[in-house]
Amino acid sequence: MSPDEKFFGWLDGELSGAEAAEMEAKIASDPDLARLAKQHRALGGKLKSVFDQVAEAPVSQKLIDAVRPPAQVIDFQAAKSAREPRRSWPAAAQWAAMAATLVLGFFAGTFTPRYDNAPVKVQDGAIYASASLNQALSSELASAPASGPVRIGLTYRDQTGAICRTFTEAKSSGLACRNGAGWQLRGLFPAPEGQADAYRMAAGMDSNLAALVDSSIAGDPFDPAQEKAARRQGWK
Amino acid sequence: MDQPLSFEDGLVELLPRLRRFANALTRSPADADDLVQMAIERALRSQCQWQPGTRLDSWVYRIMRNLWIDTVRSRSRKEKFEAPPEEAEQVGEDPSGTVEASADLKRVMGAMQQLPEEQREVVALILIEGFGYKEVSEMLDLPIGTVSSRLVRGRTALLTMVGDR
Repeated sequence: MSPDEKFFGWLDGELSGAEAAEMEAKIASDPDLARLAKQHRALGGKLKSVFDQVAEAPVSQKLIDAVRPPAQVIDFQAAKSAREPRRSWPAAAQWAAMAATLVLGFFAGTFTPRYDNAPVKVQDGAIYASASLNQALSSELASAPASGPVRIGLTYRDQTGAICRTFTEAKSSGLACRNGAGWQLRGLFPAPEGQADAYRMAAGMDSNLAALVDSSIAGDPFDPAQEKAARRQGWK
Repeated sequence: MDQPLSFEDGLVELLPRLRRFANALTRSPADADDLVQMAIERALRSQCQWQPGTRLDSWVYRIMRNLWIDTVRSRSRKEKFEAPPEEAEQVGEDPSGTVEASADLKRVMGAMQQLPEEQREVVALILIEGFGYKEVSEMLDLPIGTVSSRLVRGRTALLTMVGDR
């Protein structure tokens, strides 16, 4: 700790008893230091009183609404919708459209459910990852990409607590979330021509996939250590 | 997730302090309110990452500070480090009028803006928000010595700008 840091540590009440007493004695015997202490106390007081004006001003309704939205519509998505008018389809229609995209994505892409090792299977009316896709979702790390056909992007926990992962293959990208039965597909979208497949940032994602991530994510995407730990714990 | 109401109540209660911190970081009360709003939205989305029983204020301050760093980084990609003159004149102005900036507030906000980000955040957290060195070192993931030396540099510069000498 430099002499300056010690002096200010004393001024801010950060020094222990013995050190504080030593500094106090030093200041008592040095008029320049005593004057500096006084000036800095005054500065601290001024900063506090000036910025307290802000804390004492009434809080705008806009901010209170940000915490407690009047219609319980959460923020991020709402703000986005306000910026870019979107089709407001009923939920069922959205899912139907998504399912159509999903099927198209598979037929158009390199995934072809004609083979035994098709990367998807239908189970209890829902579409689950199978074969190479299941393998990639269950074992690959975005931080250590394998050379297979599927590349993993973001891994995160959704608002229901399930772990979800985005993935990319040659011609499409999608989202799958883990439940007791496996990796259930939540969306699959055709990739724009020529787009790099090494996604990490949401900004580089297909915009529909990014919107799906935004609307389901709770918190931030996993970092490499969290991703690794989640794999170790079986994606629970 | 167990106590969503108390989480939200906690956030509402923090709003005045969050605005104070945001005003110390940003150039104007309007920018500050935008930053508070972003932090609230992020905190709500990340609610499950907050550990009940730990300090909500430190957690949200940290979110806000990280968002501010992101904003500064993306801004600095677009413009020079210093604000253009016409923007500098707006320091302390609040077009929405919710904070009536006194001459003192404008002067102090202007002086805070002269500090490098890394000094400004430490000055704001310790001298204005009243956190201890250790709390700030944990909040910012910095060694306590770094916090302490940034604070020395920041407050020394501020004293020459706004202090009564």
